Amino acid sequence: MRPASFEYHRATSLDHALELLHEFGEEGRPIAGGQSLVPMMNFRLARPGHLVDINRLPLGGIEIDGQVLRIGALTRHEAYFNDPLIARHFPAFLDAVHYIGHPTIRRNGSIGGSISHADPTAELPAVAVLHDADIVVRSVQGTRKIKAVEFFLSAYVTAIEPGEMVVALEFPLPPSASTGSFIEQSERSGDFGTASIGITLQFAGGKIGKAAMVCSGADLFPIRAPEIEEFLVGKALADPGAAEAGRIFAASIDPVDDHIASADYRRGLIAELTRRAIEAACTRALDKS
Amino acid sequence: MKAERPKFIGARIQRFEDTRLLSGTARYIDDIVLPNMLHLNFLRAETAHATILDIDTSALADLDFPTWVFTGKDTAGLSMKAHQDVPEMQYSEQPFLAEGKVRFVGEPVAVILAEDPYKAEDAAELVFVDYDPLPVVGTMEQARDPEMPPLFDGWKGNVIVERQMKGGDLAAARAAAAHIITRTYRTQRQAGVPMEGRGVVAHYNPADRVLTVWSSTQMPHLVRTYISEELGLPESRIRVVAPDVGGGFGVKGQVYADEILIAWLAMKTGRPVKWIEDRREHLIASIHARDHEHTLEAYVSADGRLLGLKADITVDNGAYSTYPFTSAGEPGMVGKVLPGPYDFQAYEATFRAVATNKCAIGTYRGVARPSAVFSQERLMDDIAAELGIDPFEFRLKNIIRQFPYKNVLGFTYDEGSYAQSLEQMRELLAEDIAEAEVSKSSATRRVGVGIACFIEQTAHGTPDFTRRRTPIETGYIAARVDMSPDGEITIDLGLQSHGQGLETTMAQVAADALGMKPENVYVRHGDTMTTPYSVGTWGSRGGALGGGAVHIAATRIADKLRTIAAHLLQSKPDQIDLVDGRAQVRDNPGSFIEIKKIARIAQRNVEQMPDGMTPGLEAHASCDGPRDGTYANAVHAAVVEIDILTGKTKLRRFVVIEDCGTMLNPLVVDGQVRGGVVQGIGSAMLEHFIYDSECQPLTTNFADYLMPLAPEIPNIEVHHIETPTPLTPLGAKGLGEGGAIGPAAAIANAVGNALGTGVAETPLNTNAVWKLSQHIRETA
Repeated sequence: MRPASFEYHRATSLDHALELLHEFGEEGRPIAGGQSLVPMMNFRLARPGHLVDINRLPLGGIEIDGQVLRIGALTRHEAYFNDPLIARHFPAFLDAVHYIGHPTIRRNGSIGGSISHADPTAELPAVAVLHDADIVVRSVQGTRKIKAVEFFLSAYVTAIEPGEMVVALEFPLPPSASTGSFIEQSERSGDFGTASIGITLQFAGGKIGKAAMVCSGADLFPIRAPEIEEFLVGKALADPGAAEAGRIFAASIDPVDDHIASADYRRGLIAELTRRAIEAACTRALDKS
Repeated sequence: MKAERPKFIGARIQRFEDTRLLSGTARYIDDIVLPNMLHLNFLRAETAHATILDIDTSALADLDFPTWVFTGKDTAGLSMKAHQDVPEMQYSEQPFLAEGKVRFVGEPVAVILAEDPYKAEDAAELVFVDYDPLPVVGTMEQARDPEMPPLFDGWKGNVIVERQMKGGDLAAARAAAAHIITRTYRTQRQAGVPMEGRGVVAHYNPADRVLTVWSSTQMPHLVRTYISEELGLPESRIRVVAPDVGGGFGVKGQVYADEILIAWLAMKTGRPVKWIEDRREHLIASIHARDHEHTLEAYVSADGRLLGLKADITVDNGAYSTYPFTSAGEPGMVGKVLPGPYDFQAYEATFRAVATNKCAIGTYRGVARPSAVFSQERLMDDIAAELGIDPFEFRLKNIIRQFPYKNVLGFTYDEGSYAQSLEQMRELLAEDIAEAEVSKSSATRRVGVGIACFIEQTAHGTPDFTRRRTPIETGYIAARVDMSPDGEITIDLGLQSHGQGLETTMAQVAADALGMKPENVYVRHGDTMTTPYSVGTWGSRGGALGGGAVHIAATRIADKLRTIAAHLLQSKPDQIDLVDGRAQVRDNPGSFIEIKKIARIAQRNVEQMPDGMTPGLEAHASCDGPRDGTYANAVHAAVVEIDILTGKTKLRRFVVIEDCGTMLNPLVVDGQVRGGVVQGIGSAMLEHFIYDSECQPLTTNFADYLMPLAPEIPNIEVHHIETPTPLTPLGAKGLGEGGAIGPAAAIANAVGNALGTGVAETPLNTNAVWKLSQHIRETA
C-alpha cells in the first residue's frame, strides 16, 4: 500500500502548473489536499508519473462575479460552512456540505479535487449538477466551461482532458424567490452516501415554479430527474405530492445491487429521501414566502 | 490470601503508560530501525483456490536495485502445525509460503526483499504467478457437500472436525416439553482490526548466536517456542520482543507463519528483515472471526421452564488451522458455553468446523462467545415471545440463583450476581420500555429495548486446556518481582500489555502487598529475555491470573521484609504491618523501620539480617486458572430508535451491568468494558467481511469494511457489582472480553423488540433493518 514512483513538482503560478500539466499529459495530475488522490495512489489504482502541487496557487475564494457565485478550485470544504453567500443563495449546497467527511477531510479537501475525483456519491458533484454549475477548466490552450451535467461521465471519469485542470466552479445565482434542500443517508456519518437527493425550487403564489432535482446513488454519477422536475411545476408548496414524486422517480431508476446495499433498498431509500427533500424545500419556501 | 487492607487495589488510578502512549513517545514495531535492514513484501494469492503452475521472477534481474526472492520451494517443509489431538480432526498444515497450491486470496506465495520498502513493493509487481484454478469451496453448504473436492490431499470432505458434548436426558426433556422452539441464527464473518496492524523485525547476530525477533504480538513466549521447534534453535538463544503494541484484541494472540518465516529470512540473508503489514493485508490475511450458524431447539415446559437445549453449530473456518487454538477452538467454545446463565438439565451440542477457501478464523475478543450469546439470547427472546412472557420475566424464571452451580456439562460456576443484575437492569430501563411500548403504534418511527444476559468463563487454566487437547497446553501466568536496595520495585511480567493498563494495575497489586506506592513499581513486559515464561495476554486472564502471580510473588517478598523488620524491631513477623513505606509493629506504630532501609539491609548491609537468611528480595510466582475458570457475568442493554422508512437505526442508549469480582482499578475496568462494547456495536451493526461466490474478498479497505466511529456510539453507561471469587488470589475474575460479548445480542433484541419480529442474523446495518421493517411499511 505504497504509491508507485512519481515525481513531485511544486507549481509557482497557474501558468507554471498548466505548462507542467501540458508537458506531462496523461502522466500528470494536479494535487491539492490529496484526500482522494493519495489513497488511490497508495492502492496503486492511480499511478501518475508526475504530481503538480497547486497548493500555493491563488485559486481559493468564494465570490460573486456578475450573475454567478464563483468558487475557486482550491477552496477547502470547511470554508463553505460559514460563508454568507452560500447560506443566502444556495441552501441545498449548505445542507450538502454537512455530509462531507470529517474535520481532517474538510480542512484539506478542495472543491476542485472532489469534482475532479468524481466519486459517484460525493456531495459536491451532486451539488454542481443540481445547480447547473459550470466547471471551469484551464490548459495552456485556454479556458473552457463544461456544464456539470456533461462533466461527470461515469464513476471516477470526467470530461477533463490531459493537460487540463479545474480552476473554479460557477454557480448561476438563483432568483430571490427560490430555495432548496439536500438530504443524504450514509451508513456512518461522514461516509460517502448510500443515496442522496438535492432539490431546488423557484416559487410564486404558494406554488412551485421551476424545480431541479439531483440524485446520487441511482447511477454511476449524480443524475438529474427531469420527470420529477416537470411533475413539481405548479404543485402547491403546502401539498407538493412529494411521496408520489418519490414513487415515480424510484420506479424510473435502476440502481446497482452490491454488497453495500441491495438495489431494492436503494430504490426504497431514494423514494423516501426524494419525499423528504421535496418536503424540506417546500417548508423552506413557505417560510420564505 | 486476599490482600488484607487494600489501599491501591480498587482505586481509580490514571494509567501510568498513558503518558507515553498519548504523547507520541511509545515505540511500536514500525519504530524499530536497524542498520542494513531489508524490507519484505509479500506476494499474495489473487485467486482463492488454484494450483501454482509457475512463479516467474525473471523480471527482477532487470531492476537497477538488488532484490531477494523466496518461494515455497525455498521454505519447503516449514509450516504451521495447529492440530487438535482427537481422532475426529482432519490434519492439515499451513506452509510458510504456498507449496503447490493456494487456498485463499491473500495467502503468501512469495516474498520479495529489497533495501527500501517502496522498492520491495515495486519489485513484487514484477513477479508473475501462473495459476490453474480449482473449484472453490465458498460456503458452509459447499463445505459439507461430500461431492466437493477436499482442500487437502488425503482428506475426506471438508468437515475439519465434528464433535459432540452432552449432559442429562434430552429425550426426556423433549417428551416433557409443552413448547418446542427451533430457530437458526447466524453471525457474520469479521476481521479483528487493532489500530496498529501486525509487523515483524528479525535480526540474527552470529557473534553470540542470538536471534532477536520483534513482533507486534500478545504472546512473545509462544512465538519463541514455535521458532525454536520449527527452526531447531535453542530457546535460550532466541529473544522475542513485543514492543509497544497498538491493540491486539486476540488478532495478535496467535503465532503466525510470518513470524517464523521472517526469523528464518534474517538468518538466510544475514541481514535484519522487516515487514510491516498494511491494512489490506491485515483485512484479508491476518485472521478472521465469527462466521457461525447455530440451529437451536429449546424444550420448554408449560409454565415457562427451560427443560433442555439441542444445538447444531457450524463455523466456516476458512482454509487453515491457527496456532495454538486451532480450528477446533471456535466451534468447541460454542458447544461449551451455550448453557450460559440458565438452569436446565438436558443438553446436547453437535459442533463442527468446516474448511472453505477463505482466511482462517482465529481468536478475536470474545472468541465464539459473541456468536454463542447472540444465539442464546435471541432464543430467550424468541421463546418469551412465543410464550407471551416478558423477556425479563422469562430469564428470571430460568436464571441460576444457587452457587456454586454445576451446569449440565459438569462445569462448576462460582458465585455471580445473575438475578440481581437482571433486576437492576429492568429498573434502569423502565422509561425506555414504556416508550418502546407506545411507539409500537407508529408506522414510521419505533423504539426498541433489548437485553443480553450472559456469563463468561475467564482465566482459563491448564486443566481447561488439557481437556481441549490443542497446542496451547497450559494457561498459567508468571511474574518475577524484585525490590532493589533503594526500595524500588520491578515486576517482570509474563503478560504482555497491549492496552490493558497492566503497567498500572500490576503496580497497584504489588504496592498493596509491599506497603509501597504504585509509583514505586516499574512493570516490564513483552521481552522474553527479561520476563518469565507465560502464555501471554488473551482470554481475559490478565487481572485474575497476572494479578494473582504478582500478588503471590510480592507477598513472598513482603514476608521476608516482615521477618527482617521483626528481627530489627524485636517483634514477630506476624505482628509487622507494611504500610505507607514503613514496616511497623501492629500494636505500636511508633516502632517502625522504613521499608527502603530493610531493602538496603537485605542487599547491602546483610550483616544486619537474621542469621542464616539469604540476601536479596526477589520472588518468582505463577498463577494458574482454576479447573473450570472463574465466571464473570453481565447484562447488556440497548435502546434503539428506528426510522422505518429508511432503515436508519440510532443506538440511543447502551447500558452495562457487569460483575468481574474484585476490580483492580475501576477506571481500567470502565475503559475495557467501553472499548469492548464499541467493538460489539461494530459486530452488531456494521462490520462484515464479505467474499463473493469465488471467494474474492470485497471489503478490503476501510471504505468497505465499516468500523464503528465516534458519532455512532452513544454514551456507554457502566454499572458494577462486585462478587469476588474465591478461586483467584485477589478475588478478580476476567473482564477484558466481556464488553464485546453482549452487544450483538442486546442490539438484535432491541431491533426485534422495536419491529415486533425475530432477528436471525447480524450485522443489522441500515439495509438489513429496512428489510426487517418491510411488514410495517406494507401494513401502514
